[in-house]
Amino acid sequence: MKSASTLSSAFLQSAGQALPEPLLALRANRASALTDLLLPTRRTENWKYSAKHLKLTDEMASSLPLNASAGAEADIQGYTVVLVNGVVRPEASNYPALEGLSIQRFSDLNGDDAELAADLLGKSISDQPAKHGSINLSLLNAARFEDGLLIQLQPGTVLDQPLFVVHHTSASHSGSAFPCILVAAGSNSQLTLVEDYVSSGESPVMVNTATEFSLGDGANVTSVRLNTEGQNVQHMGTTGVRQQRNSRFESHSVGFGGTLRRHDLHVRLEGEGAECKLNGVVVTQGTQHYDNHTTIEHIAAHCNSEESYRNIAADKSHAIFNGRIHIHQDAQKSNANMSNKNLLLTNGAEIDSKPELEIYADDVKCAHGATIGQLDNDSIFYLVSRGLSPRDAKVLLTMAFINELVAQIPVEQVRDTANTGLNQFFDQAFQEV
Amino acid sequence: MLSIKNLHASVEGKQILKGINLEIKAGEVHAIMGPNGSGKSTLSQVLAGNDAFEVTEGEVTLNGDNLLELPTEARAREGVFLAFQYPVEIPGVSNLQFLRTAVNAMRKHQGKDDMNAAEFMKLAKEVSKQVDLDPAFLKRGVNEGFSGGEKKRNEIMQALLLQPKLAILDETDSGLDIDALKVVSDGVNALRAPDRAILMITHYQRLLDHIVPDYVHVLADGKIIKSGGRELALELEAKGYGWLGVKDNTTASH
Repeated sequence: MKSASTLSSAFLQSAGQALPEPLLALRANRASALTDLLLPTRRTENWKYSAKHLKLTDEMASSLPLNASAGAEADIQGYTVVLVNGVVRPEASNYPALEGLSIQRFSDLNGDDAELAADLLGKSISDQPAKHGSINLSLLNAARFEDGLLIQLQPGTVLDQPLFVVHHTSASHSGSAFPCILVAAGSNSQLTLVEDYVSSGESPVMVNTATEFSLGDGANVTSVRLNTEGQNVQHMGTTGVRQQRNSRFESHSVGFGGTLRRHDLHVRLEGEGAECKLNGVVVTQGTQHYDNHTTIEHIAAHCNSEESYRNIAADKSHAIFNGRIHIHQDAQKSNANMSNKNLLLTNGAEIDSKPELEIYADDVKCAHGATIGQLDNDSIFYLVSRGLSPRDAKVLLTMAFINELVAQIPVEQVRDTANTGLNQFFDQAFQEV
Repeated sequence: MLSIKNLHASVEGKQILKGINLEIKAGEVHAIMGPNGSGKSTLSQVLAGNDAFEVTEGEVTLNGDNLLELPTEARAREGVFLAFQYPVEIPGVSNLQFLRTAVNAMRKHQGKDDMNAAEFMKLAKEVSKQVDLDPAFLKRGVNEGFSGGEKKRNEIMQALLLQPKLAILDETDSGLDIDALKVVSDGVNALRAPDRAILMITHYQRLLDHIVPDYVHVLADGKIIKSGGRELALELEAKGYGWLGVKDNTTASH
């Protein structure tokens, strides 16, 4: 038996880009902890299905070029910030100066803003209670980020349209990118943030992302996450959310598989009356792999959470959903609802679903359900008997499985991109023979 | 129009149809009656092209073309329509989307342009009134949460929209109260046309009070054992299937 190995020393080199204090010291501190980081194996509970796809070779250890130019992201209509290889590109970004909104790159931070960033950094992610045998690879981001975005909304600020953050990874040669976003939404502020992960180039690369949201009392934040990166990208993303009283957080994610796609979403309902809604759609085909892990912690009383994830796997692909709801002792009158539905399109595809409930309060409502099924032959026959081609019938039925979630994505451009990707998926998955 | 010769079919190795012969001309309405398990529904599924059933012998032609060679969707486009005994519920696909996709698949086959959403909506509303369905049902999932009667009316609505050459109605009367039976029968009678054939499959003769057939056939153990006119159904109602030497635990009357 091979024993657990540590990270190659090539990854331990410190990040290159200079940052203002105290961020620089924080990063150096985290980097020194990396020497103890074990790499996950199939015995690592939270990497059970994905460890074998994780390939952290030495050639991936160095940061991808920090001065690479942006691609063709400019066609986005609306407020846009572009990061290339984890570094903010102001010249490719486009948003107006709005009262109450501040968008700053880490390298430009000073004084109170730098303190705030350092204070937020890792608060919703690496302070997760260390669960037995779990390994948190967002530590790589904490130790290696080269730059990042601090988005602040003053109390009461309402952004009138979505803010797109485009993460472009330029994989002209092997390496890694460590993009980092911090969002501090003041009380009663409102924001829709779209994270759009794209890539160019064919070399094997790793994208290790961290996104942290801090919602003040009554803040209303919608996070949309779209991943259309290339096959060559190993993507490990972590999103952490902390919610104060009566705040509301919505997450909509749409993911297409790749060699390794991993997203960890951790929501902490810390103030009474906070609520979150988490929706996710994943489609995989070929030999693709997608692994979603979510955790919702009900820490305060009277909070609501609503979660719905759907996976569709074709060919020999593999999709995983692991959803954990943790209701703390003081979180009375919690209301939590989790649903995971899965559709296998072929015999060779695999889906693993694991709902986990941990409840320490005695007056809560908590429901969860998971299903795995196939397209129904009777339904296909019914549609085909009305003149639809077998392909159209299957597309209609498959779309019906996820349409409810796609339709809820509140940004039209993202819905369009998602539908385009889904149509390409159907063309591959339901080729007419 | 439809010619069935010596048709044998089996499901999972079990022989169900054992040599069916039937000729239906354009403009005619035929009724097939028979006890449970006689093969009535199998015949309708085989004609529509359900590949769960295997045709082991015999031939079926529609206007001279070999129907059995065509895949299900091609049969539909050539004008074969089956009103299902148990219409499938498909949550997430709206009736409107389904019906428009079906009508446009048919129009494309006929070399006509697609109907746009507005045109189709107008047509669908008209036809839904004809079968007494609230147009609000168009927004709902296909058959989702429909009562038995609503499902059957939805089947007839589809027939009215698709205007088939051959309409096969499989137990379209089952589970209907008398008002719904009247609505469905009116819909079927509206389908009667000189260039269209209708094949009704039923266990009970009461449907035939509303839709008067030109011919009645009795199916038992995979074969047609007696054919006649309208009066055969009445005779069955009076005497039961036992009169023909067929075992049945229910009677043919209502």
